[in-house]
Amino acid sequence: MGTDLLEVWELRGGYGDITVIEGFSASLRVGEVVFITGRNGTGKSTLVKLIAGQLTPSGGQLRFNGQDLLLVPQHKRLSLGIGYAPQEAVVFDGLSVEENLTLHYDNRELSRYDALFDAFPRLPERLKQNAGTLSGGEKKILSFCRAMAEDTKLVILDEPTEGVQPENIAHMAHAIDHARSLGRSLIVVEQNLSLVEQTADRAFLLDNGRCIYTADANQNLRSDIAQRLKL
Amino acid sequence: MELLVVNILNFVFATATLALVVLGLAIIFGMLGVMNMAHGEFVMLGAYGALVVQNAGLHFLFAIPFVLLLCIIVGWFIEWSIIRHLYRRPFDTLLATWGLAILLRKGIEAIFGRDYKSIDQTLPGTVQLMGVDYPAYRLVLIGLIALFFLSIFLWYRKSNTGARIKAMVTNPALASAVGIDTRHLARLTFIFGVCTAGLAGVALAPMVRIDPFMGLDYLLSSFFVLVVGGLGSLEGLLTGASVIAGTDVTVSALISKTGGYIAVLTLSILFLWLRPNGLFSSR
Repeated sequence: MGTDLLEVWELRGGYGDITVIEGFSASLRVGEVVFITGRNGTGKSTLVKLIAGQLTPSGGQLRFNGQDLLLVPQHKRLSLGIGYAPQEAVVFDGLSVEENLTLHYDNRELSRYDALFDAFPRLPERLKQNAGTLSGGEKKILSFCRAMAEDTKLVILDEPTEGVQPENIAHMAHAIDHARSLGRSLIVVEQNLSLVEQTADRAFLLDNGRCIYTADANQNLRSDIAQRLKL
Repeated sequence: MELLVVNILNFVFATATLALVVLGLAIIFGMLGVMNMAHGEFVMLGAYGALVVQNAGLHFLFAIPFVLLLCIIVGWFIEWSIIRHLYRRPFDTLLATWGLAILLRKGIEAIFGRDYKSIDQTLPGTVQLMGVDYPAYRLVLIGLIALFFLSIFLWYRKSNTGARIKAMVTNPALASAVGIDTRHLARLTFIFGVCTAGLAGVALAPMVRIDPFMGLDYLLSSFFVLVVGGLGSLEGLLTGASVIAGTDVTVSALISKTGGYIAVLTLSILFLWLRPNGLFSSR
């Protein structure tokens, strides 16, 4: 770990006139896995939407690899090196699983998914199936695989384990660890504290759109955050 | 027997040409949500494009690249200057394109005048089919339209660009997140819709009277087709076109042209009332 990949400074934003994130500042190092956690409605998803470009910040600065992210439209952030798996509407319901995994490439080549298909064998079995007919957990796995298979420096995952069964969450944790070992960085919005404990280098606890606590891996992350969530 | 064969061929021809006319509106309205009231004027532009080519002494086939180029330029400019600011605001697009339709009509009127024009028949003569003589141009047109629709259908189903358009239509936020430039894709889709309308105008030009107001009828029949067939699927478009064309051809043959028009109107009202999403809506 060393240089900063992402710098967030006094980020503000929300939906129209409603400001949800109020001056969030943090930095993410190369090869670091950071979790954003907190109660429902504290602005976790809004924060990553602002970073991923789905929402336009009303203030603050965002720099990725030294480049001003606010000047980069959302569809160009993937080629810049930022992958994003949103929390809701995570697949294209009218397309097949295969189309969901390949529509953004020039061909339908699936070899980039080999390792992920080994971890989630149900997915390759359903390539021709309409993605809209998958269960909620399967849709999350599809979305997770699509984001992780990209050769991006940063992956943003919003609630990736929602509705996913425990054995697949363990596979997700393994994939996150593997990505980190390759020098990729991750921002993960998550309420599943066991995943936070397994894979986080740092965790931000959000409340009312502000970071109220930062924990790092050498602390007892799970109990630390759990205790603060109760406060 | 001969009358039946002629009526069947007329029905197939009316369905094919109507489907071609509607395709542009189905793309622009069904996929982009733009209530394009200028659709008929794009058909008119295609017909006038064919007229310009004829007046220049060129073969009719030169009208195809000429009109395609014209529609690309016009479609790009309209999307860039008006439509792109109004996506996801259907009522605003309705007003804006209605104004645009008036502008296009008046523009054509200023250049060509209000009087009717006509194009020479490019493929005269008839072909004997199942005991009847049927115009060769109509038969060729049926074949070409069928081939065109088959190509569009396969391309939309199989290509990655087709998948990207479906992705953009169903979930634009996610499409953008996976790196699809939805603005650019929407622009291309709009231009493609304008081009198909222009091509329909070229195809119809040798068979219709060309005047600045010819687009109004095509706009109305296009909306009738979408009301019956529903938005968002090629199956709906073709079914809607065959129902509207079939009703029109049958009632016109049995009663009168006015009777056919009233029947189509009544059918559309019934669909709006009893089945507002049409027969094949994907929404």
